[in-house]
Amino acid sequence: MERTFGDDEIIVSKTDLRGLFTYANDVFLRTSALTEDETVGQPHNIIRHPDMPRAVFKLLWDTLKRREELFAYVVNLAADGAHYWVLAHVTPSFDGAGTVVGYHSSRRRPERRAVDAAAALYAELRAAEQRGPGGSGGQAGLDASWKLLHERLGGRSYDEFVWDLTNGGGR
Amino acid sequence: MIRRRAETQQPTEDTELLRTLAGVCRRAAAGDLEARLPAIGDSPAAIEARSAVNALLDVTDAFVRESGAALSAAAEGRFHRRFLTRGMLGSFRHAASTIGAANDAMQASAVRVAESDRARLALADQLESAVLTVSEQVATAATEMGASANGLSDFAREAVAGAERGLTTVGSLRTASDQIRNAVDLINQVASQTRLLALNATIEAARAGEAGRGFSVVAGEVKVLANETSESSDEIIGQVATVQSAAADAIEVLESVTESIREMSRLVTGIAAAVDGSHDSGNAGLSQLAEVLRGEVSRFVTTVRAS
Repeated sequence: MERTFGDDEIIVSKTDLRGLFTYANDVFLRTSALTEDETVGQPHNIIRHPDMPRAVFKLLWDTLKRREELFAYVVNLAADGAHYWVLAHVTPSFDGAGTVVGYHSSRRRPERRAVDAAAALYAELRAAEQRGPGGSGGQAGLDASWKLLHERLGGRSYDEFVWDLTNGGGR
Repeated sequence: MIRRRAETQQPTEDTELLRTLAGVCRRAAAGDLEARLPAIGDSPAAIEARSAVNALLDVTDAFVRESGAALSAAAEGRFHRRFLTRGMLGSFRHAASTIGAANDAMQASAVRVAESDRARLALADQLESAVLTVSEQVATAATEMGASANGLSDFAREAVAGAERGLTTVGSLRTASDQIRNAVDLINQVASQTRLLALNATIEAARAGEAGRGFSVVAGEVKVLANETSESSDEIIGQVATVQSAAADAIEVLESVTESIREMSRLVTGIAAAVDGSHDSGNAGLSQLAEVLRGEVSRFVTTVRAS
């Protein structure tokens, strides 16, 4: 079952440097069908959907390690088995001295057209990841998926791919 | 937990709650947007109050992250990265739209700058190509002009030499005329003497009477011959004078022609120096000037392309 949320709403969560939730707003809790107690202190992957390719998460962490922002289309898994698509804006949180103290994600409701395009790409990447030796967790599968991702982007960066979908589908 | 406490404890608990709220707001006001209000109670009012405060912090946090990143992206030329207005309401949305409009303006100006860069580079290419063509043509023309000037110089030198040989020839003609005149003068003297001798012979023949009659005829013939010789000499003198006058005219003409050719030769030498350059004055020739022009333009064009 697919769940959506309001155009005017933003799903907000924060994690520490290890990826453990330190904050989740009420839109997050409602959409993920979680309580605050079930969320804070838990690892971020409690909402990870099996349709999400590992290559996209690799890109996410590579980008955050460079202290840069990332926009990504992500499908998340709610505790009740529903799923919901978001356009996530993930950024490092800095303290006054410029040190990264955690990560922050603001998620907006995506356009259907963008979701369809992202879902088609991710299905291909997941298939590539599962074909490798060791199944979906193997390094070979991730390498194949990573290579395929860049082939499919055709010279664009993932960032440009996301913005092509976002600017084309209305803001 | 708070709710379970006795009624009499309420003021202390409210104070505690207000302190927590003030602490979170102070942190946020000081720029620490990681601050969020923890649970302050289970009553619907407490849950709503916490949700409202955190929603304010969430939207402020998102706005600050977005605006900084959107402007950085625009400054780096990544104009596709927009400020997403979705999820932003009221003044937040208005400010996000304003940043978006500024982003558009920056993009438009970046496009204009890029266009003007392209135009400038195209102009540099055209200038370089034009100067290259001109300098090649000038170099070719200079080579041809240099060859022509050298040919003209040689020709002028030969013409002057020829004219000088002509002057010598005409000069020797004058000398020959003078010698002829001397020879004719000598002949005239001989004729004059002969006439005198013929006169004396006529007188002597008359004195000899009949015996001298034949001799008188001979003396008359000798006198006629002397007179004819004198007449011929006068004619020769006249012709020699004509030859001498013609020679003088020829000398004048030849000298004038020679001077003209020398002047022409000087002009041609000047042209050759302008074309080939002059070692004495250190002036650069046309070919060198064309090369210098090309070098200067190449340097200029390189600067234009780099800027």
